[in-house]
Amino acid sequence: MKYTTFNQVSNNPLTEPMFFGNPVNVARYDQQKHQIFEKLIEKQISFFWRPEEVDVSKDRVDFQKLSDSEKHIFISNLKYQTLLDSIQGRSPNIALLPIISIPELETWVETWSFYETIHSRSYTHILRNLFGDPSSIFEDIVENEEIKKRAADISKYYDDLIFATQLWQTLGEGTHTVNGETHLINMRELKKKLYLCMNSVNALEAIRFYVSFACTFAFAERELMEGNSKIIRLIARDENLHLTSTQHILNLWAKGKDDPEMAEIAEECKEEATNIFLNAVEQEKEWAAFLFQQGSMIGLNKEILCQYVEFIANHRMSAIGLGQPFDVKSNPLPWMNNYLNSDNVQVAPQESEISSYLVGQIDSEVNADEFGDFDL
Amino acid sequence: MNIKTHTKNGTYNVPFFDGDTILQSIERKEVEVQSHCRDGFCGACRCKLKSGQVEYKVDPLAFINDDEILTCCTIPITNIEIEFD
Repeated sequence: MKYTTFNQVSNNPLTEPMFFGNPVNVARYDQQKHQIFEKLIEKQISFFWRPEEVDVSKDRVDFQKLSDSEKHIFISNLKYQTLLDSIQGRSPNIALLPIISIPELETWVETWSFYETIHSRSYTHILRNLFGDPSSIFEDIVENEEIKKRAADISKYYDDLIFATQLWQTLGEGTHTVNGETHLINMRELKKKLYLCMNSVNALEAIRFYVSFACTFAFAERELMEGNSKIIRLIARDENLHLTSTQHILNLWAKGKDDPEMAEIAEECKEEATNIFLNAVEQEKEWAAFLFQQGSMIGLNKEILCQYVEFIANHRMSAIGLGQPFDVKSNPLPWMNNYLNSDNVQVAPQESEISSYLVGQIDSEVNADEFGDFDL
Repeated sequence: MNIKTHTKNGTYNVPFFDGDTILQSIERKEVEVQSHCRDGFCGACRCKLKSGQVEYKVDPLAFINDDEILTCCTIPITNIEIEFD
């Protein structure tokens, strides 16, 4: 079905499924099929923040004091998060917007993606402070084998869905041969690809960020890299909201509260969905091993981080009806919860509300010669 | 009011303190339960409500099943029994 930017069929959005119904026409929010997305939009907008509001200048001094293995941990995590948000800043828009059928979900996806772009901008803010020229850090993201391995796994479900949607929109249902490859395109296959893609996104938001969050907050526990930690807290708050949205979508499908065919697919693909999650858990554990290959950091090691991944995976998997596959009874990193508490996320009101405060701000650079006329 | 709390590590009788949320009262008793946002949008403090009734202080955004509550933004209005998985 050809995509149209303004569908002239007079349809009732209250009876459309979330995906693969009529394309959205009027962006109206006075009525909603699934109110939750409108509420998520409002919450996300209330979280607005700018990376420049957070002073990261002290981090530069702290960074010089880190050991080589700690520098490796810190920078590798930033690279990985840069990759994740590079994907998330564009992919929900490209993969999901062309097939969404209700306005509140369309706007939620746009709002969600926009916040991922704020996260990407904040990594530049952090890295520009640490290095005069952060080019080599960014360039390594497409060279580093450990990161590339993860990128391939995350983007494949998006890419699959995007390609199938493009074929469906240009050629319709049927068997199509493109560049010598045959592709079967029908609604059931499209919906399966969407279901798997949503599970992959859910796993990404649920656990893929948490190994690097744990390292960041472990530095902050030692009062190191605190500017970075403030930014990562804001990011973690946003990611928790994004996770809530994918959990809602998956549960609306599974419980038959949206498209009945998606409920069948959820049942049919349960094992594949579980494997997507378990695979992400394994990859995160491998990431922890890579981070600590040159040595640990105070307060964290590979084993405890792997236990934390299992602990958080249990919670995230049970939220979407996939059970708790790991035997972890207690939170191995209880202090993490303090950093994920939204009450502890502080942005000074005068800075966040009055735009003129954002320009100029305070120059926190102090040179030695400024103490030239200073007598004791 | 009493909050009978089942966790993986045991069962506890937790007294509810006025002004608290259910989560805060459980934490006062030093029972380990999970929480992240404490504002009803992440779902980390989700648990099953096995008996009794609760009232929401904040409109919850996190996904919860029909038999579940978010402890970070509810107060009990009767004695309750809850279970964390």
